Amino acid sequence: MMKGLLEYMGTEPGRLHFSWISSAESTKFVEVANTVAEEVKALGPAKHFIKEKAEVA
Amino acid sequence: MTSVIIAKSKLNDFLASLKSGYQVLGPVRQGDMIAFGPVNKAEDLALPYSNTRLSIKSVFFPQSERMFGYSLDKEDADAGIIKETPKEYPNRVVLGLRPCDAKAVTLVDVNMDNPQFQDPWWVKRRETTTLIGLGCEHPCSTCFCTSMGSGPFDETGLDVLLTELPDAYLAKSLTPKGDQLLKQAKGTDAASPANEKTAAEIKTKAEQTLPQLDTAKLKDKNMMELFNARFWERVQFACINCGACTFLCPTCWCFDIQDEVSKKAGDRIRNWDSCMFPLFTLHGTGHNPRDHKVQRVRQRFMHKLKYYIDKYGDGPACVGCGRCVQACPVNIDIRNVITLMNEYQTSAGTKA
Amino acid sequence: MLEYVGKIRDIARRLLSENKVDVVIGFRQGTIPMMSEPAVVSRPEDVDELYWDYNCGINLTNYLTKRTDRIGVVAKGCDSRNIVTHIVENQIKREQLYIIGVPCHGMIDRSRILAALDGQEPTAVVVNDTEIVVTGPGFERKFNRQEYLQNNCATCIHRNPVVYDELVAEKVEEQKLDDRYADVKKIEAMSPDEKWAFFDKILAPCLRCYACRNACPLCYCPTCFVDESRPQWLGKSIDPTDVRTFHFLRAYHCAGRCTDCGACERACPVNIPVRLLTKKLNMDVEDLYGFEPGMVPDVRPPLDVYRPDDPGGFIK
Repeated sequence: MMKGLLEYMGTEPGRLHFSWISSAESTKFVEVANTVAEEVKALGPAKHFIKEKAEVA
Repeated sequence: MTSVIIAKSKLNDFLASLKSGYQVLGPVRQGDMIAFGPVNKAEDLALPYSNTRLSIKSVFFPQSERMFGYSLDKEDADAGIIKETPKEYPNRVVLGLRPCDAKAVTLVDVNMDNPQFQDPWWVKRRETTTLIGLGCEHPCSTCFCTSMGSGPFDETGLDVLLTELPDAYLAKSLTPKGDQLLKQAKGTDAASPANEKTAAEIKTKAEQTLPQLDTAKLKDKNMMELFNARFWERVQFACINCGACTFLCPTCWCFDIQDEVSKKAGDRIRNWDSCMFPLFTLHGTGHNPRDHKVQRVRQRFMHKLKYYIDKYGDGPACVGCGRCVQACPVNIDIRNVITLMNEYQTSAGTKA
Repeated sequence: MLEYVGKIRDIARRLLSENKVDVVIGFRQGTIPMMSEPAVVSRPEDVDELYWDYNCGINLTNYLTKRTDRIGVVAKGCDSRNIVTHIVENQIKREQLYIIGVPCHGMIDRSRILAALDGQEPTAVVVNDTEIVVTGPGFERKFNRQEYLQNNCATCIHRNPVVYDELVAEKVEEQKLDDRYADVKKIEAMSPDEKWAFFDKILAPCLRCYACRNACPLCYCPTCFVDESRPQWLGKSIDPTDVRTFHFLRAYHCAGRCTDCGACERACPVNIPVRLLTKKLNMDVEDLYGFEPGMVPDVRPPLDVYRPDDPGGFIK
């Protein structure tokens, strides 16, 4: 639901990932880590929820 | 102290000449609301209007403002030295604010610009801003300015006061700044005694539409007896302790200072704060002298209507603009509180 | 709904005279049109202060939190659902309450009417079965009542209290609606960039006054996350990222608990449609868990419990 609300507010699908990996599932860990990295790279640098310096007067 | 006429058909000429020397701000439409924003032509002005949702104060005292900056980069020779953030102070005109807002600015001056303390940003913005007020021919039903020492055509704090006539504005200059502005402005014509007479009639008529709340007794009340009055329980019940009243109020001046650090640089920012918030008085020890809602609600009204009067021999620190009456989500009405305070007598029946 | 006033006063007078309750919480008539003030009365002779009309959109459950006395409380459908939520979350005990149930016809939308009047100031507003008649200096305007209901009331399907000790009138017919989430679906159909820009625009006027949070009966934490300083979760300025983070987290804290009473939106002094966030979560809670908050007092909200069959589509 949190992912749903973030995407509803404009965060790109693919930016946020959830997975459940047991300490015994090394292969799955590698697969998931690679998929996450690929998908996030494809989206490019994040533009949202980034605050370098407050945008105030 | 000159008066001139600005024909409505020449308002754009007047504006164009202002724009050559000033940035011009005025009441403009922003969504459902009217707010102070840049004005390029007469059509930008949201006229006629009752009042802006937020007061004039942010023009001098923005809700969030960077005060200082510093570097935390060890390579930087100036690391750790706090420096004032450079700002620009262009000459500005605020065109068409209501007289109550200008009066409010003079009440905030008492805090921001006094012999003991001068807030540099407030002072510089005040110096470089010229205020052209627009008198209220039709005050709102929630207005009570004349009861608070102001009025629909109050000249306090203004450099120029405009009175709307059928097809022109009578512009009366009230300060040297106003004189200079009107002298340079185009689109103006000489005012006739007849214009002045019409304006005076409009003023009297508008003043008569306003209700009169009695505030005369506030000054002589005993502060502690008012503080301990039982009516606060009743006043505070509905309050949800949001900051709507204080943020919309033209005379609320409190702020909080925060440091925001990102990577190797930091900013010291000040933000409007509100006595309605529990955090406002929370001490570092964890103790909070105003831990309960009733204390915070009482503080807001006592500050405006009693402490200010006692401390400065002036006031009250309310101009009767009615914004808090309109915006309070739970209809806590300052007009009723003023009456409760003014009429309060201790149970013994002695004059409080 | 004006006919409810006498009934509310009668019940309150009886409860206080018979010492069934210590106080009665209801509404007092507003000092300006389309407003009302939450009020508490503790003496039978004061019950005539109580009032009821189409402007009682504030949620009175907000005034019950952690009270220890015996309370008579006036409750419309949504308030009653928040009372249930309060009971589930241990903020009040059912035994303390005498719930004066009000079958509700929906509250009128003050901010939209004021916007439609475009600066003309109403001095009197009368609501009849079909119309809202607004009068002011030199004008009279009529609005269709159904069209100018608060948006949450127009899409409400629980107008009758779900829990009560006494009703002030016969139950009203519940609305049958095809799609209560059309506004949410419209946003969902946008591209990510459009969504981001849309929320930037609606959140731009936010003052961080926290009226939305404080009007909400769900927000009763002793210290809100925005007020935490160790650690400080977000900045306190009106920086757009901080404003958005506040609204996102405020809404998320209401997930699976919000009854869409509309108090947040009604309270906002700058007309931000904050319900667009909570409503999205309400829709998801309905879709994913088949749950409507505040309907039964003995079921914990879905995000408060783990069940093996919880939807897990988002987990890879």
